[in-house]
Amino acid sequence: MSARETILNAVRAGLDSRKVDAEAARREADALLQDLDAIRPELPAGALVDAFIARVTSPKVAATAERIKDITELPAAVRRYLDAHDLPPHVALQPAAVLEDLDWVALETRDGVKPDDVVGIGIARWGIAETGSLVFHSGPETPILANFLPLHHIVMVRERSILAFLDDYAVAVAGQRPPRNVNLITGASGTTDIEGSLVLGAHGPAHLHVVIVENDIHGDIDADKSTPGASS
Amino acid sequence: MQEAPVSFKLRADRALADPTLKIAIDRTTGTAERKRTVAMTQFPQFEAARERGKRIKDHVIANLDHYLLEFERNAIASGAKVHWASTAEEASQIVVALCKQANAKRVTRVKSMLGEEIGLPHALDEAGIERVETDLAEHIVQLGGDRPSHIVWPSMHRTREQVSEMFKRAHRVPHQEETIEAMVASARRELRDKFLSADVSISGANFLIADTGATCTVTNEGNAELTTTPPRVHIVTAGIEKLVPSTEHAFLMLRLLVRSATGADVTQYTTFHCGPKQAGDRDGPEEFHIVLVDNGRTRMLADPALKEMLRCLRCGACMNHCVVFRQLGGHVYGGTYPGPMGAVLTPVFDGLEQSRDLAHACTMNGKCQEVCPVAIPIPTLLRGWRDRSWREGLEPAAARFGLGIHTFVASRPRLYRLGTAIAIKVMRLFSRGGLVRGMPGLGAWTKYREFPAPAKRSFMAMYKDSEGKR
Repeated sequence: MSARETILNAVRAGLDSRKVDAEAARREADALLQDLDAIRPELPAGALVDAFIARVTSPKVAATAERIKDITELPAAVRRYLDAHDLPPHVALQPAAVLEDLDWVALETRDGVKPDDVVGIGIARWGIAETGSLVFHSGPETPILANFLPLHHIVMVRERSILAFLDDYAVAVAGQRPPRNVNLITGASGTTDIEGSLVLGAHGPAHLHVVIVENDIHGDIDADKSTPGASS
Repeated sequence: MQEAPVSFKLRADRALADPTLKIAIDRTTGTAERKRTVAMTQFPQFEAARERGKRIKDHVIANLDHYLLEFERNAIASGAKVHWASTAEEASQIVVALCKQANAKRVTRVKSMLGEEIGLPHALDEAGIERVETDLAEHIVQLGGDRPSHIVWPSMHRTREQVSEMFKRAHRVPHQEETIEAMVASARRELRDKFLSADVSISGANFLIADTGATCTVTNEGNAELTTTPPRVHIVTAGIEKLVPSTEHAFLMLRLLVRSATGADVTQYTTFHCGPKQAGDRDGPEEFHIVLVDNGRTRMLADPALKEMLRCLRCGACMNHCVVFRQLGGHVYGGTYPGPMGAVLTPVFDGLEQSRDLAHACTMNGKCQEVCPVAIPIPTLLRGWRDRSWREGLEPAAARFGLGIHTFVASRPRLYRLGTAIAIKVMRLFSRGGLVRGMPGLGAWTKYREFPAPAKRSFMAMYKDSEGKR
């Protein structure tokens, strides 16, 4: 008998050989998702974007954030960040058309992120106000490592794609084929492994800056097209 | 997994005699306890969430065959290869065989308690495959050549001075400054090219998502993603109890897990890994393997005295709040999992005869159950092991003899009262300021703590007097 059969038989024996009714299991599982407000934290009153920014910049997440009106203002926002941190004018772009098409003026940009890059710029598909998380789906325009290699990570997220709770993200993508990786990123990389003291920049970025774009008449990143309704 | 070299009692004595260890433990568990308390006050829904989390896990366990098959089906559809292992040996053999098949010279690992449980570090070393631990704490454990002493902070038994020394010896470009920041930077430099040049990556899973076939990891360092993306092959090892019905259910459990583990609301990185690299993807592994491991879990399922332990999320809250763990640290427990949850699990993996002391290293104060995010009645489960150990005749002759005498005396009221009257008189002779700090026959107790002096008269004596006055 294969290990698979051995294990499944042992499970069934442990459950008194009761036959699972898949429909009943599904109903029970769904019932466990009811009345979510009773079992998740409350959001502060007011606009979702304000709750999101408050969370991102709180000591819990310890990132910085700013709002811009239009995506065309992103290069200027990046420039301000570089100047404020005394960084050279080289940035690595997540290979998304919407970023590549921007006018980066005097900044030297490179398609794709290298292991020793100082500044990387990316686009998150969603923001989550509950936790201050940014959500990325790996894909042709979203290499996974682009979010982990640079020392400074500047991430753009559209205001309309900010969701209230983690659960809302799960609902938004339910039934779709998941990407290789869904990365929820909440703040910079950190560790408390030496005597419990927190140090940022463990293996991933040491700094996270979030730029929220109010107006997004410009193009979406590729995968957005396959997720209608995700932004509602 | 590992054979305990010396008895539990001797290990405990050594731990108690180590002053640095106590400082190291206090620093980390103290912070964890404080941060969890704050997180709880900010999450008044915790009790309701915990009840729901408990029901979700119970639901999964009650339908485990259904969810295992659903997970397998969806994982295969996503392009993953699913393997099954009944025992620890089988599981590590499968992983080593996959590494050899991939011609792996260098393997990077993300911290996984299941990997420790199945003896993977040892199996990889035996097979002559270079193993790079990428979690900072596991990196420290690897350099120190010892074992994790906590399931969330595996190197909590090391002070910064010890870490500094190890890094200076092992790193190519070690830190110059004696700060923790500089040490972390040194590890970052040391490990970066190893992440990128490994042939195979191995991770565990915090959750297995039945309706997508994805596996979920949570980390703060970002080492999981840096580990599992560049190599051509990614292998996940996970216990069969890690299933949840859907991503939504996973988020409910995550709220409980992270707050209980570190006091944060969410870890910096929460990642769902679903299948290998897809068409057009810029990076990611070409092969994705998932090894589903039983190793005693189906035995626990069939055992009413252990079944509830299958809810365990491996958050470590029980050990952070355990008075015994906080005195002894994790190594004393001798198994893969330390603390209260380890005391329940270790006899399952190593046998009760090897580990019967663990159930006794408990004051039954109930703190572990109180902080458990899925309300596992750990003291009840430990009492179950004590019972079993007694029934199976594993308790030593001295204990059986002592308890025999106690039973004889306690069931004879006159004899018992005479005995306590004498004991009270003698103990009061040795007490100073209401405490006994030393007394012949009480040395094992008073070596580490005082014994409160008994009241002048026993309760029964006072009760009789007051009854007489009525």
